Amino acid sequence: MTQAVGHRIGPRRRLAIDVFATVNLVGTLVKYLGLGALFPVAVALWYGEPIWPFVAAGAITCGFGFALERATAGGAARVGVREGFLVVSATWLLAAGFASLPYLFAGGNQLGHPVDAYFEGMSGFTTTGASVVTDYDALSRSIDLWRAFTQWLGGMGIIVLAIAVLPRLRVGGRQLMESELPGPEVAQLAERIRSTARLLWMLYVGLTALETLSLASLGWLGVDDKMTPFEALSHAFTTMPTGGFSTQANSIEAFSAAAQWIIVVFMILAGANFALMYRGFVRRRPKVFLRDEEFRLYLALAFVASLVLTAQVWGYGIAEGEAAVRSGVFQTVSIMTTTGYASADFAVWPALALLSLFALMFVGGSAGSTGGSIKVVRHLLLGKVLRRELDQTVSPEVVMPVRLNGAPVDERTLRAIASFTLLYVGIWAVGAAVLAIDSALSGVDLGTLDALGTSATALGNVGPGFGITGPMGSFAPLGDVSKITLIGLMWAGRLEIVPVVVLLTRHYWRL
Amino acid sequence: MKVFLIGAGQVGSTVVEALHHDHELTVMDNEPSRLTAIAERYDVATFEGDGTSRRDLSRAGVGDASLVIACTSRDEVNLVAGMFARREAQGATTVIRTSNVEYVELWRGGQLDVDFVVSSELETAHAISRIIGVPAARQTDVFADGQVQIVEFDVEEGASQDVTGVPLRDARIPGDSKIAAIIRTPETTLPGGDDVINAGDRIVVIGSPQAAKAWSSLLWPESGIVRDVVVFGAGRVGSAIARVLLDQGIGVRMIEASSEQARRAAEAFPKARVFNSTGIDPDFLERERIGQAQAGIFAMRDDAKNQYAASLAKVHGIPFTIAIAHEAVSVAAFEQAGIDVSVNPRGVTAEEIVRFAHDPRTKQVAMLEGNRYEVLDVTTRDSSRYIGTQFRDMPVHGALIGAIVRNGTAIFPHGDDVLQVGDRVIVFTEAANVPWVVEAL
Repeated sequence: MTQAVGHRIGPRRRLAIDVFATVNLVGTLVKYLGLGALFPVAVALWYGEPIWPFVAAGAITCGFGFALERATAGGAARVGVREGFLVVSATWLLAAGFASLPYLFAGGNQLGHPVDAYFEGMSGFTTTGASVVTDYDALSRSIDLWRAFTQWLGGMGIIVLAIAVLPRLRVGGRQLMESELPGPEVAQLAERIRSTARLLWMLYVGLTALETLSLASLGWLGVDDKMTPFEALSHAFTTMPTGGFSTQANSIEAFSAAAQWIIVVFMILAGANFALMYRGFVRRRPKVFLRDEEFRLYLALAFVASLVLTAQVWGYGIAEGEAAVRSGVFQTVSIMTTTGYASADFAVWPALALLSLFALMFVGGSAGSTGGSIKVVRHLLLGKVLRRELDQTVSPEVVMPVRLNGAPVDERTLRAIASFTLLYVGIWAVGAAVLAIDSALSGVDLGTLDALGTSATALGNVGPGFGITGPMGSFAPLGDVSKITLIGLMWAGRLEIVPVVVLLTRHYWRL
Repeated sequence: MKVFLIGAGQVGSTVVEALHHDHELTVMDNEPSRLTAIAERYDVATFEGDGTSRRDLSRAGVGDASLVIACTSRDEVNLVAGMFARREAQGATTVIRTSNVEYVELWRGGQLDVDFVVSSELETAHAISRIIGVPAARQTDVFADGQVQIVEFDVEEGASQDVTGVPLRDARIPGDSKIAAIIRTPETTLPGGDDVINAGDRIVVIGSPQAAKAWSSLLWPESGIVRDVVVFGAGRVGSAIARVLLDQGIGVRMIEASSEQARRAAEAFPKARVFNSTGIDPDFLERERIGQAQAGIFAMRDDAKNQYAASLAKVHGIPFTIAIAHEAVSVAAFEQAGIDVSVNPRGVTAEEIVRFAHDPRTKQVAMLEGNRYEVLDVTTRDSSRYIGTQFRDMPVHGALIGAIVRNGTAIFPHGDDVLQVGDRVIVFTEAANVPWVVEAL
């Protein structure tokens, strides 16, 4: 006897992801993110500037998040690995929108246009530091600090922050964190992912405070008159996330040599692995730095590139002595860690220096840092994979696990790294092509190297490009198509491409 | 002594064979056919039961034993049996066999409540590493924390004229060593000054490790120090061998047919070069110049494969082959096939276990030529009639003193040295003579 089971089989489901749960979680995240507007409100009150743009932005964001949450309430709020990609990608799109609201309301001619405002917002949260601002003096202090603050929030990651403070993300947080934290895998600092997120954020806050104090003390000691506490905080907010927004039109060039050296030190820290720094500094085990292969390579690359750049700057007579060394080191560290500050207008440097900087845009910081781009550890492992390939060409049977710090690395991870790098290069090339075509059509003066550099700088979350988008230039002259392309590149680059690109595959959505 | 043995497999029956003469044995196993086979051959008590059952152990009389040996092929059974034996037989010495090196490390760290842990893999690896150190040796063993080595050599054509073809009193024998026996089938000589070593003989030498190496190069002038070894098979035995050899700074290449095991070996041994190959693919052997290696060790799971791979490796030019013989009978087959040295892990394990059954005065034994000869490490008693006797006056029938250990240091005695109370004597003798040799000292 068989029973009819037809009535138990429900209707065919077509979607492979739980949209309700996803939207619900995104709503929650956006709702709390809106509270971030309280900071610029306080700043505006302090300086006696209008607070309504920030109040409105915060209210709209909280309201929107709340509405999303309510509209999808009641479902089984189970967010799995699949939904995680969409949650992270969507949250970052909305976060950039939130960041752009004050620009829309109070940005005037410079930032008031929706595409420009969104560009600036995306550049902020993704810690890129590319800007459409042309007249920095016209920006109010609260807008200045809002730009810096968005970078600071985006640096360690808004979802990492949410995991650290929101009880809702106690479960399933790991996948979300992996999508957001840069690098092939997340280092565990504690048993609970939540504690790990908290420790990372605490270290981040601590380093930011230390940098603010270091810079501000230059002003107090009279070493650097321009370095007021306001400037110190603004720049600490954009150094630690390797952001690169500055309150000054000529970026860090506006400040003294001492300030520049302090910023170099903190850029190096910001581009190092935070989990490693936690073990080294907080747990007082300095040997971990020496033992970490990625950290050693990171410093070695920075050192060699600094030498090359210094030699160029000095050799071409752009600067001499300490100034040449400072330019070489500063620019190397700034571009390599994807911060994007400038201590000189490198766009006018000789071709070899430009090519060095161009190459550095593809290096990036360490895994688990706030830096963007490909990251040192991926280069390290790819190099090892290539060496193994050569060995296996000669001896096909040889079995050689690729090791990182002595431990064998999973083959799947290696494949993921190879495909990440391929995707990265492919997307960079496509982005550059779109920029070149759009610029040619709309009569913007963007040369070949400029188009390639601008695409790389956006995808790597660096900031300045070459030519008109160079460190002392602005992204404002670019056409809207170019700007939207760059927004997409920054977004994909910050999330390390995969969470964004999987959304384009059919089987992500459909069963 | 009452000995209680759990496990009547290959190791167990080898232990029974070595111990049944002098001790009262009870053998326990859960497989009646094995017990029957043992009972038919030896005069021992058998008991069918489960080694992991405390009730079975108790009923079989484990409480009366003064030595409990758990040597089944399963680690878990041996561990549990060893644990229960501790409770049942308070004063007894417990010995367990394991195939997991981790348990040996735990035991060394005092984390396992048994007296001794013997690992087939580790014993095999050490046996092979000793052979690699003395490449001309058929078999070797060490005593007194490695200060005294006993080596069995085959004397071949081309051996140095310093020691062959001349009466021993005229031979230039390496210092700190003694020839314990010349085995010329079917008879064995405990040699005197008139005896001559000839090609085709098999000799047993007792001496310092340096002397053993010197003998090796005298008897096998073309063999140097081994620096490049290929291990075929990266299973438990192969991995244990690789680990021991790598620790000695010897270069190791490993060949493993299973890709999963090859990967694990490559992860475990960063210094070794691991290949995923059957080891019998001529193209592979040629391409990787396997024939250039100084020695090949065949530690695959299947004796037939070991034998074939070893023969093929010889064809490709490996001069020295050592093969693992999982079945005792394979030792003879390997010898027929021209493999230089065969090691039977179960035999090695049984030998190690048997050491614990001896008189407390007797520290360690080695067995040579099957079980025909034994080497004992005996502490002299106050009442021994040989105390104060010069070595030249010692009787020379059936036993030979190769070395003495005095205050922890090995001495290779000359004719005018005198035996003292408390000396540990390393003595070579025929197995049948063991009781009276121990008695006399």
